[in-house]
Amino acid sequence: MLLRLPYRVQMPLGLSLAVVLSALLVTAVAAHLFVRTARVETLATVDRAAQLLGAQALPLLAADDTWRVFALLRNTAAFLPGASRGRARAAVLDSKGRVFASSAPQLIQTAQTLLGTSVNGQQLPPAAEVKGRLRIDRPDGSIALLEPISSEDGQVLGFTYIEVDALVFEPDWAELTRPALIGVGLAVFLLAPAGWWIGRRMAAPVASVAHVIERIGLVDSALLRRQLPHSADPELGRISAAVDQLISELQVRRQAERRALSAERMAAVGRITAAVAHEINNPLAGLLTATQTLSLHGASEETRKRTLDLLRRGLHQIQTTVTALLPQARIEDRALEIDDFSDVVTLAQPDAASRKLHLTTSVDVTSALRVPSAVMRQVMLNMLLNAIKAAREQASVHVQLRADGEKVEFSVAHEGLVLTREALETIVAAAGGDDPRGFGLWVCRETATQHGGGFDVDETHRPGTRVVFWMPNRELNEEPSAD
Amino acid sequence: MLRIRDIDWGGYLKRNLFLRGVGAACAAPWVSRAATQPKQLRIGLTAVILADQAAFLARWADYLSQRLDARVTFVSRDQYQAVHDMLFNGQIDAAWTCGYPYVRFQSQLQLLAVPLYQGQPFYQSYLIRPAGGAVEVRGWADLRDKVFAYSDPLSNSGWLVAQGQFASAGIAQKDLKRAFFTHGHRNVAEAVASHLADAGSIDGYVWETMLLQGMPAAKRTEVVWKSRLHGFPPLVANPGAESAEVEALRRTLLGMSDDDAGRALLKSLNLDGFIAGQPSIYDSIRQLARSVPGSGVVA
Repeated sequence: MLLRLPYRVQMPLGLSLAVVLSALLVTAVAAHLFVRTARVETLATVDRAAQLLGAQALPLLAADDTWRVFALLRNTAAFLPGASRGRARAAVLDSKGRVFASSAPQLIQTAQTLLGTSVNGQQLPPAAEVKGRLRIDRPDGSIALLEPISSEDGQVLGFTYIEVDALVFEPDWAELTRPALIGVGLAVFLLAPAGWWIGRRMAAPVASVAHVIERIGLVDSALLRRQLPHSADPELGRISAAVDQLISELQVRRQAERRALSAERMAAVGRITAAVAHEINNPLAGLLTATQTLSLHGASEETRKRTLDLLRRGLHQIQTTVTALLPQARIEDRALEIDDFSDVVTLAQPDAASRKLHLTTSVDVTSALRVPSAVMRQVMLNMLLNAIKAAREQASVHVQLRADGEKVEFSVAHEGLVLTREALETIVAAAGGDDPRGFGLWVCRETATQHGGGFDVDETHRPGTRVVFWMPNRELNEEPSAD
Repeated sequence: MLRIRDIDWGGYLKRNLFLRGVGAACAAPWVSRAATQPKQLRIGLTAVILADQAAFLARWADYLSQRLDARVTFVSRDQYQAVHDMLFNGQIDAAWTCGYPYVRFQSQLQLLAVPLYQGQPFYQSYLIRPAGGAVEVRGWADLRDKVFAYSDPLSNSGWLVAQGQFASAGIAQKDLKRAFFTHGHRNVAEAVASHLADAGSIDGYVWETMLLQGMPAAKRTEVVWKSRLHGFPPLVANPGAESAEVEALRRTLLGMSDDDAGRALLKSLNLDGFIAGQPSIYDSIRQLARSVPGSGVVA
């Protein structure tokens, strides 16, 4: 229960409880000691009373003066513990053990024989056997003290007899409890509020530290550090110092994170810029060749028209690529056509010619093409240019476009450098990096992933490398088929 | 009635200091002691009255001193014999004693005055027991094997009457479980009230006065038996005392009922006055004493 309370309540409440428990404990111990001491003091008082009675009663016994012995007993017994409540009484016995007089004649009757008889269930010794002070502890807790009264020459003239009831030795818990309750009440009244105040004062720095910790990252670090409590207490000082260090380290870490984020953003911008440049640059070489063709063979109507179509589609590809970079851009793209495949081969022809490569193509399209043309042109051109770069000189590069109702597949095979699947994954994972092939391959993988297709290496192809790209044969916003 | 709280201790001390101062002045060497020192008259008191109230005695002493032209002092003793010893030794001039010692030592005493109690010079002896009937005592015959309290060996009501009644009941002293003297009638009442004794023989006048004053010991006891009337304890003087002074004391005592101060003192004593009295008043005591062996009064 206590542990569920807030620390700022726990501590003052705990101190207050400690005060109350301490008061109760001290009272209990004091009461126990009082009870033990009270018994010893009671017995000592009874001993002293017996001595006093013996000395004072001696001449009165010798004078056979019952009245004066009675007066002596009446005055002396008043000092016995419990006498005021009738729980103690004294008597003087004659030499034969009969009551000469007693302080309570109704209980210890005059001339009654005591010694040698049973009193309160306890047998008293005969007068002749009492040679010295004798204390009789009765089973009920009461005591009886018997002491001979002797003349100077040793003649026993009588006896002092004192009875103290058990109730006198029993602690009067009501009487003991009253001051204890008063003490506890005073403790609660005075010390508990003090304990509460001290507890609150002790808990306040901890609460301040907790308040500061709660707001780390939300409030200015300098302000939080100023609000940290500065205590002379070593433990609190350590906590404050640790929190201060934590704030400092978090501040450094946040600055590092901001720098890293900034650097990452810059790197991303750089990668995007490089990718865009790459994607724009790819068709540019072919387009420039087309303009050259147009200037040399522009007289032919067919050549001019075909070349202008090539230029239009190439520029449209670039436009599509650039538009895709604009935020919230709505790209209007047409479906792939067979001519797009021919354009890609045409655009790559200059590079292939420069390396004396022999380009072969095959088209196996059995269904209408519904994939976006700009994306597929970009992928096909990337794959073909990469293959031209990777192929051996004077070797052949085979380009194939296959399509059916399910998917569109484009592959490029050459007999040049072998690209393993592991190497492809490394290049793609590097997100382009410094590898000039990287941007093209990364764009192909991203495009395939974005359109629910794939981009992989055909490891069964030997020698050289065959790279395959495929995507579902459907429009971009079209739902996938039920299978 | 006399009560402790009524005592004027301040006045009492002032008067005593004054008297001591007068005495010291008289002791000056250039002053004739015989010429200046007033006459002294010392009166012994026994337990026949409740004479332990110092303020009352001081007032009574003042009253008598003013009328006797002498310094009157009271000397109290709790045993009758002690007072008589002082009287016979000349240490006191007069004594308020009991009728029994008067008849016993009549030849050595002169009758000074006899108090009037309830209008007559007589009183009774009471047999008392604890109140409530816890002790089965209805008469003298029930006292066999009981504890009995006497007042004084020279007391008529506190011893002599009891001896006569025990004899009449056929109870010897050895038939009592125990008997003891309490050195005063008041103590008899306290002994019986506290059950120290099962019964006691007490001066009827003292017991009634105690009851009148509301004393607990009287309230906690009850009267079982009352004796016939006996002569009230008299004031006696030593025959060798100066006759003029004794006569003056007698006249003053007899005249106490004639003035307010005297009547106030008598009221405190629960008495009506004093008369000269005749020895014949004590004939019943004399007769009783003669019947009791060892009483010291012969036939």
